Amino acid sequence: MRPEFFAQLRSPVPWIVLAVAAVMPFVLPNYYLHIFTITLVYAALASAWNIVGGIAGQISLAHSLFVGCGAMLSSALLVRYGLNMWLGVIVSAAAAAAIGAMISFIDFRFRLGHLSFALITMAFAEMAEIYVTGTEFFGGASGLFLPKDTGDFFAFQFGGGRGAFWAMLAMTALCLLANLAILNSPLGYYLRSIRDNENAAQAIGVGLLRNKTLAMTISAVLTAIVGAIYARYLAFVDPYLLVSPTLTVEIILFATVGGLGSVIGPALGAFLLAPLGEILRGHFGGSLPGLHYFIYGAIVVAVILVSPAGVWPAIVSRLAKRGRQKA
Amino acid sequence: MEELLQAIVQGFFVGSTYGLLALGMGLVYGVSGIVNFSHGDFVTLGMYLCLALFSAFALDPYVSIIVVLPVMTLLGAIVYQYLIRPIAGRHLLMIIQLTLGLSLLLQNALMMTFGGQPTRTPSMIESKLFIVGDVVIRGSHLVACISSFALAFLLYFVLQSTDVGRSIRAVQQEPRAAALMGVDVGRVQVMTFAIGIGILAIAAALLLPGLPIQPNQGLRLTVITLLVFVLGGMTNFVGIMLGGVVIGVAEAVGTIYMTEVLGQLLPYLIFIAIMLFRPQGLVWRS
Repeated sequence: MRPEFFAQLRSPVPWIVLAVAAVMPFVLPNYYLHIFTITLVYAALASAWNIVGGIAGQISLAHSLFVGCGAMLSSALLVRYGLNMWLGVIVSAAAAAAIGAMISFIDFRFRLGHLSFALITMAFAEMAEIYVTGTEFFGGASGLFLPKDTGDFFAFQFGGGRGAFWAMLAMTALCLLANLAILNSPLGYYLRSIRDNENAAQAIGVGLLRNKTLAMTISAVLTAIVGAIYARYLAFVDPYLLVSPTLTVEIILFATVGGLGSVIGPALGAFLLAPLGEILRGHFGGSLPGLHYFIYGAIVVAVILVSPAGVWPAIVSRLAKRGRQKA
Repeated sequence: MEELLQAIVQGFFVGSTYGLLALGMGLVYGVSGIVNFSHGDFVTLGMYLCLALFSAFALDPYVSIIVVLPVMTLLGAIVYQYLIRPIAGRHLLMIIQLTLGLSLLLQNALMMTFGGQPTRTPSMIESKLFIVGDVVIRGSHLVACISSFALAFLLYFVLQSTDVGRSIRAVQQEPRAAALMGVDVGRVQVMTFAIGIGILAIAAALLLPGLPIQPNQGLRLTVITLLVFVLGGMTNFVGIMLGGVVIGVAEAVGTIYMTEVLGQLLPYLIFIAIMLFRPQGLVWRS
């Protein structure tokens, strides 16, 4: 671990942001708190995805599978067998890790550089949706209802909107921390070397299979846990929301707009776009369904053409330039 | 046994059109090195254009090709020229992100225009049935199969023995050398992308009769195309058509013989199995 990691943790800025965010449930009205919570879900998902997609440069389209694994499997285990949801989360995180590792292995067998990973993960995401919507255990196409949230922490219940917000805030912080830790550790350097040139990385002794699998597993586990908290918050587990490949596309677009490969970027993308989407959906969901996705699509195309690295790196480089001019 | 034969024949016919979809993708990949993740959404767009023409002028989907083909070809050229070309040659990830964004854009433009309900477009040939032995063949499937193979041959012929085809193959093999030989590489790339999208207009009309369509089906079509494309070894014509048939037959046999879920998963499972044991695709030299 490089010393920068600890230096960044000691800086007061992230702690102040966290503290300000933590008092939000006392300030914001319910509707805006809901939007904030959803935004945190996407921020956490985007930054968990960033470990694979941004740092390692492997465009994973399978993350809806991991979200679904965390949300559907832990819910189904609770509803069908009465298994404690904490245990369910552990089981589903382990399942997500196993699937992630398996996908990495298949990708390793079939090497086409960055392309094959996207292809294989997309096939898996489609399979997951078909499988979950057609299996009675997961509630089939109609989904599952979770028991009422009574605030019993030991049953993975957080006591409604506020509790879920704090749980999601903690999870988002954990995902950001994981990104920061990986970027400052040897793993982060291996992954970035793989992203920039797979063959060269292998030639200097970076193990492709090992490092890619590790990145995929970490990302899968984080994503599954976010999925479980999201499911608990929604209380209704809808496969067409949680296992749909469109969810992955959304995550990727947020991360892309914010800036891949950085710690802040993907979360920033979620904070820019997710509230916009929620508000648009709230206002036009009835009359013009799909408008918010249409706008997302337009924004991502525009961002890639104008500032391909994303919003955050553009801000950073502009600030750096201004700093240099002053000095 | 009869069911199996029926499934294989039907799968073969539908699969040939999947092959056609993947040919468009393979052509573009070979020349520009890009994979278009909004492929299926362009097919869906083609289908909805046919539907719109049917609703407005009662045009049969096969007749609509006359209008839809040039529109889609032009659209393809515009998309390549103004969206893809500026970032061509950069990291492949960006192309994937851009085309995913494009997919979301197209899908939801269709959603806002036509609504999310599944719609069917009838055709004069849809209800025609041919019975050979114990096998029933739908007229639309027969047309789709014959046209797909005819188009594949036409495309092969164009690539092999016309000047346009030679310049496309030259860019495919070695863009730099092609440029030195006086081939306008940029123009060839725009043209191939336009042709690749144009093919989709034809494939859309071929698949449309009797098929319920929805704006959000694009991603699934993209995935099927990708499966065929990879099975076929990316740029190999014969391999891609063969891959299309394999996926088509797997789909048809799966829905008849297995429980609903497993049947639908069969094409993907076959894809993964082939990738594990034959990572280079179905055909050797590719």
